[in-house]
Amino acid sequence: MAATEASALSIRNVSKAFPTPEGGEVKALDDVSLDVADGSFMVLLGPSGCGKTTLLRCIAGLESPDSGEIDLKGTRIDDVPVWKRRVNTVFQSYALFPHMTVTQNVAFGLQMDKLPKGEIAQKVDRSLELVRLTGLGGRRPSQLSGGQQQRVALARALAKEPEVLLLDEPLSALDLKLRRGMQLELKRLQQETHITFVLVTHDQDEAMSMGDRVAVFNEGRIVQVGEPREVYLRPRTRFVADFIGEANIVDVITEGGGAAITGWGAIPGESWAADSPAIGDGRRVAAVRPEDVMLTAGGDGRFPIIDATFIGGDLHAVVQVGDMTLAARQPAADATGLSTGGRCDVAFRAGSLRIVED
Amino acid sequence: MARRSTSGRAGQGTWWAGLPGLAYLVALVLAPLVIIVIFSFLSRAKLGVGVKWEFTVQPYVELFYSESLSGERSFDPTYLQIFFNSVVYSLITALVCLVLSIPIALWIATRPPKWRTLLVFLVTIPFWTSLLIRTYAFVIILNDNGPINGALTGLGILSEPIPMLYTPFATIVGLVYSFLPFMILPIYASAERFDFRLAEAAYDLGATKGRVLMRIVLPAVRPGIIAGLILVFIPALGSFLAPELLGGGKTSMIANVIAAQFGASRNWPFGAALSVMVLVIVMLALVAFAVVARRSSRRGSQQSLESLL
Amino acid sequence: MKRWKNRRQSGILLALGLTGIMALSACGGETTVGGGASSAPASSAAGSEAASPEAPAGDFPTPNGGELNLYNWTDYISPDLLKRFESETGITVNLDNFDSNETMLAKLQAGGANYDVIVPSDYMVAQMIELGLLQEVDPASFPNGQYIKPEFMDVYFDPGRKYSAPYMYGTTGIAYDPTKTGGEITSWAAFFDANSPAAGKIGTLNDQVEVIHAALRATGAQPCSTNREDYVKVEELLAGWKPGVAVINSDGVIGRMASGEQTMHMMWNGAFTRAQADNPNLQYVYPAEGITLWSDNFAVPVGAQNVDNAKIFINWMMDPANIGEATNFVGYDNGITGSSEFMTADLGANPAVVIPDEFKALAAPVPGCSVEAIDLYDQVWTNFKK
Repeated sequence: MAATEASALSIRNVSKAFPTPEGGEVKALDDVSLDVADGSFMVLLGPSGCGKTTLLRCIAGLESPDSGEIDLKGTRIDDVPVWKRRVNTVFQSYALFPHMTVTQNVAFGLQMDKLPKGEIAQKVDRSLELVRLTGLGGRRPSQLSGGQQQRVALARALAKEPEVLLLDEPLSALDLKLRRGMQLELKRLQQETHITFVLVTHDQDEAMSMGDRVAVFNEGRIVQVGEPREVYLRPRTRFVADFIGEANIVDVITEGGGAAITGWGAIPGESWAADSPAIGDGRRVAAVRPEDVMLTAGGDGRFPIIDATFIGGDLHAVVQVGDMTLAARQPAADATGLSTGGRCDVAFRAGSLRIVED
Repeated sequence: MARRSTSGRAGQGTWWAGLPGLAYLVALVLAPLVIIVIFSFLSRAKLGVGVKWEFTVQPYVELFYSESLSGERSFDPTYLQIFFNSVVYSLITALVCLVLSIPIALWIATRPPKWRTLLVFLVTIPFWTSLLIRTYAFVIILNDNGPINGALTGLGILSEPIPMLYTPFATIVGLVYSFLPFMILPIYASAERFDFRLAEAAYDLGATKGRVLMRIVLPAVRPGIIAGLILVFIPALGSFLAPELLGGGKTSMIANVIAAQFGASRNWPFGAALSVMVLVIVMLALVAFAVVARRSSRRGSQQSLESLL
Repeated sequence: MKRWKNRRQSGILLALGLTGIMALSACGGETTVGGGASSAPASSAAGSEAASPEAPAGDFPTPNGGELNLYNWTDYISPDLLKRFESETGITVNLDNFDSNETMLAKLQAGGANYDVIVPSDYMVAQMIELGLLQEVDPASFPNGQYIKPEFMDVYFDPGRKYSAPYMYGTTGIAYDPTKTGGEITSWAAFFDANSPAAGKIGTLNDQVEVIHAALRATGAQPCSTNREDYVKVEELLAGWKPGVAVINSDGVIGRMASGEQTMHMMWNGAFTRAQADNPNLQYVYPAEGITLWSDNFAVPVGAQNVDNAKIFINWMMDPANIGEATNFVGYDNGITGSSEFMTADLGANPAVVIPDEFKALAAPVPGCSVEAIDLYDQVWTNFKK
C-alpha cells in the first residue's frame, strides 16, 4: 500500500496499545494502514471501542503510535508535536472555550499562528459565513444551541485551513432531524473547501451518505475499505456484512461439486453474485440481504413464518429454515398471503448470495 | 439562565435549617466585630486596661497624627507604613503561594482519581498540628545551625552559613508555608472540574504548552485563583507569629501592633481602631477582587452577565 | 513578670481574635492539679514539721477541705508541690494560667472570673489595689508572715504587706559570652552600643517596658520618665542599635544563648541559669546604670469564693521549706527568709539567682509607669519595630 501522489494522508502499519486497569494491555490499533486521497471525504466506521477514534487522535497528535508511520502530504508527522501539525479536529464534545466568545474561539487558532490582526478578522468572518453563523460572533458558547455550537467548532477548525480536517463523531450529540441537515452541510463544506475530511462515526447511515470512501474498523483493524456502495454490496467479511445494513448469514456446505444450505437444499448457480469468492471445500458462510430473500405464500409451503409485520410499505418477515432463521423484506404488494403462523417457500434473488470471511 | 431558576429554589422548604449557623455567625462573628467598632470610639480606662464609656474619635486621630517627641502635633506615617508593610507582605505571600500552587494543583488534578484523594489529603496534613508548632519548626529549619545551612556548609557549597532566620525572607517563607494549602485547595477544586479536552482542543489549534496554560487553563481555574488569593491575603494580613518568630520581631505587622495595644501599651480603644482599619483594608481588598473578577468576566460577554443578573 | 517555661507572647490570643486567624496551641486553660513530674527534692517532712508548731495562731482558719482556684503564670509552680499541698490540707487546687499581667487584669475586670488566689507582679499589685480589685487579707499577720524578708515587707506597691505576699523575684539583665565579645560588658550603654563587638548577634526581649527602661537608663535618664527630651535620645540610641540586632523575641532565649546563636541578649536571670548550664561561658551582668528588680506576689481578688482556703494556701507557700521547693522548680529566688536552706546548692550559690551584695544597690523595683509614659514607650517602641 504505497502512498500515491494524490494521498493527503498515508497511515502505514500503525499500532497502539493501552494498559488496562488489570495490568494487561488492549490493542486499540493493530497494524493499521490506510491512504486518504487529497480532497476526499473519508469515513472511519465501526462500533465503539474498535480503534477508529484512537487512529484519529494519532493523526491529530493527541496520541502517539507505538509503531508505524503517519505521513501528511508526503511528510512524516507522527513525531511532530500536536501544535505544529497542519491538521485540525472537530471534537465530539465540540470543546469550545467557554470563557471566549464565538469570534474569540474561531480566532484562537489563528492567533496561535501569529497572523496579523486584520487577516485574522477576515478569516474569522469567512469561516463564520461558511458555517452560516454570521452575526453570532459576540455570543458565548453557552448561549448557543447544540447545532450552533457544532458549527462554531467547525468554523474554528476550518479557519486554520488545515490539510486534513478530523471530525470525531461530530453529529452524535444532535437530534435526528438536525443530524440529517448537518450531514448534508458537512458534505457541502467539504466540497466547497476541498479540504480532506476524515470523519469518525459508528452510524452506518451517516457513513454511507457522507463518505467518498469508508474504512470499516473492527477490533483495532481495518477490515474493509472502499466506496460506500461497494462496501455495502460486496462485504468482504461477515462483520462488514452484518454491520453495514442488515444481512442474513447462512452456513453453506459443499455438496457434490455444488453447494447447499442445510434445511433448504442445493443452491442454484445463478443465486451467487458474479464476483463472489469461490466456495471451496468444507463449511463456509454466505451473506444475503433481507430484500434478496423472496417469499411465496402457500399452505403447503416448506417453512413456517415466525413473524410477519408491515412497516411502511414493506413486509418484514422472519422465517424458520432448518436450524436458522432468515429475515426477509419485500414490498407489501408482493406479500399477499404472508402472515405470522403461515407457511411459505423461500428463494434467493439471482446474484444475491456472497461468500464472506467468517 | 438555567442557574437562576435553581439557585432560588434550593433548600426553600427548610429555611430554618440555616438558623443555627446564622445564630452562630451573629453571636461569634458579628457581635465581636460590633464590640470592636464600639470600643474604637471610646476613651481609655484609668490605667489603660479596658475602656471608659465616653465617646471620642481620638483613636482614629492617633492613626494619622501624633505628638512628636519634640512636642509638635503633626502627621505621622508610622501606622500607615506598618499597614503598608503588612499589605506588601501579604501580597507577596499570596503571589508566591499562587505561583507555587498552580503547578501543584494542576498536577494533582491530572492524577487518577484515587491518587487525587490521597494527594489532597497530604496537602491538608500540616493542619493537623498547630500553627505555632509549625512556625517553631521553621525556626529550627532556617537557623544558622539548622539543616539547610548545615547541609550547604557540610557539602562545602558554603563556607559560612547564610543568615536566613530573622529576616524578611524567613517571614515570607513562614507565611507562604502557613497559607499554601489555602491556595492549593481552591485552585485544585477548580482544576478538577476543568475539562481537559479543552486543553487538547487548544493544542490541536496550534497552542504550545505555555499558551494552553495562559489562555485556556488559567481562565478556567480563575474562580479558584480568586478564592485562593482572598483566602491567603486576608489571614496573611493578620499574621502574628511569622513576623515575631521568623522575622525576629524587627518588622511589625498590624497584628503585632494590635496585640501590643491590648497588652503592654494599654490602649484598648487604639487597638480597636487599628482592628477596624484592618477590617476596612480587607473590605477594600475584597471589593478590588470583585471588581477585577467582574471586569475580566464581562469582557466580551456582556450578554451572559446580563442574563445572570 | 517573667517566667522561663513555655512563655507565650502576651496578647497572642487577643490579636488572633481581632484579626481573624484561627489555630493556636493551648495557652492555659483550667486544669486540676495532678500528675506531672518535677525534679524538686523532697523536703516535705521538714516542711510540715516546720509549719505545724506555728500553725493556728489566733483566728487563722484551719483546713476544712473544699477547693482553691489558683490563677498563675504558665508553668510557674511545681505540680508536685501543689499535690503535696492537697494531701496535707485536703483542699483541691484548680489551676488556671495567664501569660501577662494585662491579660490577668483584663479577665478580672471583665468579671465572672472565679479565682481565690492570683499572682500579680509588683506594679500590677499597686494598680489592682488602686482599682479596688484586691482584698485586704493582711498576709503579714499570717503565722508564716514572720518569714517575709525585711526588704520585701515595706515594698512600694504594698507597704506593710496588707494585700499581698511575696512569691518569686528576679532581675532583667544582660547575658553575654565574653569569649566572643573580647571584652567585658558591664553597662546598658555597652549593650546598646551601635559599634558593639556583638553586633549582628544581639538579641533582646520583645518587651517594650524592659527595653525602654534599659534604654532610658543607658542615656542617663530614669525609667518611666515623662520628659520628652529623654525619649528623643532613646529613639536615637535605638535607631543606631537596630542594625546590629538579630532578633527581638522573648521566646527561645535560652536556646539562642545556650547554642551560641546569639552572643549577647537581654535576659531574665532565671532563664540565664538554664542557658548557663549548657554554655558555661555565659555571664550575667548587673549593669552599672541599674537593673529592674521585679517580683511576683500572691493576692486574693475581690469576689473570691474560698477566702479561708486562699489564706491557708498563701500561708503554706510562705513556709520556707515549701517556697524553697518552689524555687528549685522555677529557678528564681523568693522573698522568704530561711528558704535558701531548702534550695539546691547550685541555685543558692549562683550570683545570677541570688543577687551578690555588691550589686544589691543596683537592683530596685520600678513602679508601674503612668499612662503618659506608657504612651511614650509605645510610640518609641512602635517606631523601633516598624
